[in-house]
Amino acid sequence: MNLLEAKEGEEYIIKEIITDDEELNAFLFSLGCYSGEPITVISHLKGGCVVSIKDGRYNIDSDLAQAISI
Amino acid sequence: MRIAFAGNPNSGKTTMYNALTGRNEHVGNWAGVTVERKESTIKKSYYDGLEEMIAVDLPGAYSMSPFTSEESITSGYVKNEKPDVIINIVDATNLSRSLFFTTQLLELDIPVVVALNKSDITEKKQTQINEKLLAEKLGCPVVKTVSTESGHEGLKKVVSEAISLKGKQQKAPYVQPDINLKNKAAVEAADRKRFEFVNGIVKQVEKRKVYTKDKNVQDKIDSVITHKIIGIPIFAGIIFLVFYISQTTLGTWIADWLVAWIETFQGWVGGLMENTNPLLQALLVEGIIGGVGAVVGFLPLVMVMYFLIALLEDCGYMARATVVLDPIFKRVGLSGKSVIPMVIGTGCAIPGVMACRTIRNERERRTTAMLTPFMPCGAKIPVIALFAGAFFADAWWVSATMYLVGIVLVLLGALLVKRVTGQKYRKSFFIMELPEYKLPSLKRACVSMLERGKAYIVKAGTIILVCNTAVQIMQSFNWQFQLVEEGAESTSILASIAHPFAILFIPLGFGVWQLAAASVTGFIAKENVVGTLAVVYGVTNLIDTDELALVGSGSEVATIMGLTKVAALAYLMFNLYTPPCFAALGAMNSEMKSGKWLLGGICLQLATGYTVAFLVYQIGTLITTGSLGTAFVPGLIAVIVFALIILWRIRKSDKEFAAQYSLHSA
Repeated sequence: MNLLEAKEGEEYIIKEIITDDEELNAFLFSLGCYSGEPITVISHLKGGCVVSIKDGRYNIDSDLAQAISI
Repeated sequence: MRIAFAGNPNSGKTTMYNALTGRNEHVGNWAGVTVERKESTIKKSYYDGLEEMIAVDLPGAYSMSPFTSEESITSGYVKNEKPDVIINIVDATNLSRSLFFTTQLLELDIPVVVALNKSDITEKKQTQINEKLLAEKLGCPVVKTVSTESGHEGLKKVVSEAISLKGKQQKAPYVQPDINLKNKAAVEAADRKRFEFVNGIVKQVEKRKVYTKDKNVQDKIDSVITHKIIGIPIFAGIIFLVFYISQTTLGTWIADWLVAWIETFQGWVGGLMENTNPLLQALLVEGIIGGVGAVVGFLPLVMVMYFLIALLEDCGYMARATVVLDPIFKRVGLSGKSVIPMVIGTGCAIPGVMACRTIRNERERRTTAMLTPFMPCGAKIPVIALFAGAFFADAWWVSATMYLVGIVLVLLGALLVKRVTGQKYRKSFFIMELPEYKLPSLKRACVSMLERGKAYIVKAGTIILVCNTAVQIMQSFNWQFQLVEEGAESTSILASIAHPFAILFIPLGFGVWQLAAASVTGFIAKENVVGTLAVVYGVTNLIDTDELALVGSGSEVATIMGLTKVAALAYLMFNLYTPPCFAALGAMNSEMKSGKWLLGGICLQLATGYTVAFLVYQIGTLITTGSLGTAFVPGLIAVIVFALIILWRIRKSDKEFAAQYSLHSA
């Protein structure tokens, strides 16, 4: 499943990031968002969600949330 | 020696840079405020010794491999320009992410000092970081700092550590094995190892009581502020409040008081010069003091607004605003990140346009740079305030409407650009770090306000002074360099230059050479619109029109200009939504990096200003008087021509797109 279906407050492990945008992939990597790492959805919003990766909070849009499978 | 400041975005590099150098570079509580390299000398009070120390502030980066153009400035600088020492500012609240970049910096063979910044926040959260162990593990000095407190002992210590490291060797704690950098999998595997190494260190040096993945109070605030229904009214309310306080209440009250002083001064100078050459008298009293004074009178409005915007930027709301508006902006082909340039643009379009650099998608970045000037900037505030005062009895809705129309034009403009560029089906992802909220610093806001106030006065004393003097001279003489006689004002140099423009403005309801001249000088600096109007109409007190109303019948300024309310509104809007000043056009050019886009942008802005003014004047006149305004048909033809050109462009790009698409599928 992807992040959009994740339960709020529950920690998941990232399985895969599905994108052919290599730079985006590398960028997410530098934030600590890559397969095998934990990720928590703090809340779902209109058009996206708030996630916790390592010790940071990020807002990501639905397109990106769908690309992160957990 | 040179000390480079490098670290993750929003870790406090520029704040530390400002503290150490005494500069006032733009800071804000979101990732990506700094988009350019800045250099300045460090204050002597932070170190002993005679050698000059130069601090180099760099844009934030998460890693040495750049993602956006401003990040490449950072990696390019530390790799190629070889600073003597790097101060790596590490956000202590997010150690596990920050140290990834730190270990990369340590591999460069440049001595590194780690400044463990925001250590006040970690203390508040009862997170313990063993900096001695961290220093041992990294093989470089680690100093706890709080860069928001300029007197914090850590700042001095960081500098002295940096000085003592000059020319010394450090052993990198983690060295990436030689791999083929073009092999994606190998790079990723190496990066994974690096992160593993970092995680290992963090586990040993950091003890947390509060975990980031748990929901906290800030998340509750966020769930209201970024709520799908009430998020937008909250945004609108905050923005409205900023403009209401600065332009209708507090700002204008202070301005009234200031204008009284300027008038007294002008009267005093006028008295002194009573028996001198009337030409010189006119030049000095009306041209220089009157024109510049008219502009300076609006200074408090601009300063109050800068104060409020600084508070807004400092508290952490800006990142949330991008989240709230992202779904709307996405529909018109922009991203939530376009919000930041536009909010900054309400202060000044130049830093606003420069802030576009953090937008990665090229089309979104160019479109944002093109549309940011539609948000009325600080220099346009005097123009708005003048017309609101002279024609609409300082009604609050005038300035609110100008910003609202600005936003609507941004959205419409974005839609148009989206259609013209024809990139409808391409995806762009949105990710924005949500920084922790913090109490905005009043000191920072005051500094930002004073800095801006100073810049405004300098501008009034230079560019605007020169323009007003030129306008005054051009108005006083005709082409034979003889003084223009009373009653023959239309023979002056100024009138004859402005006249052809004025003809174009007849369909917009303000086809008079005085108004045309003011609009044209506005391209040099928008405050000039006010200054020029003051000079050409010989009125000086433009802000305190209440008092004028007491003296004469009705609003004197309005009477002198001889405009209807509708035409005045059209004129105001024309000046707000035409292309910005030349300096802002220069900024657009450097961000767009394309002559075609720049030209398209200028044409769009010209057409928008003209069309908006035309519609406001003609429809407004029809409603108020029951008949259409002057020269409706020629104006309509012009607007139709604009529309046809845009339609033709859309058609063309649709065709190109279809052709490209069919090639792909074939």
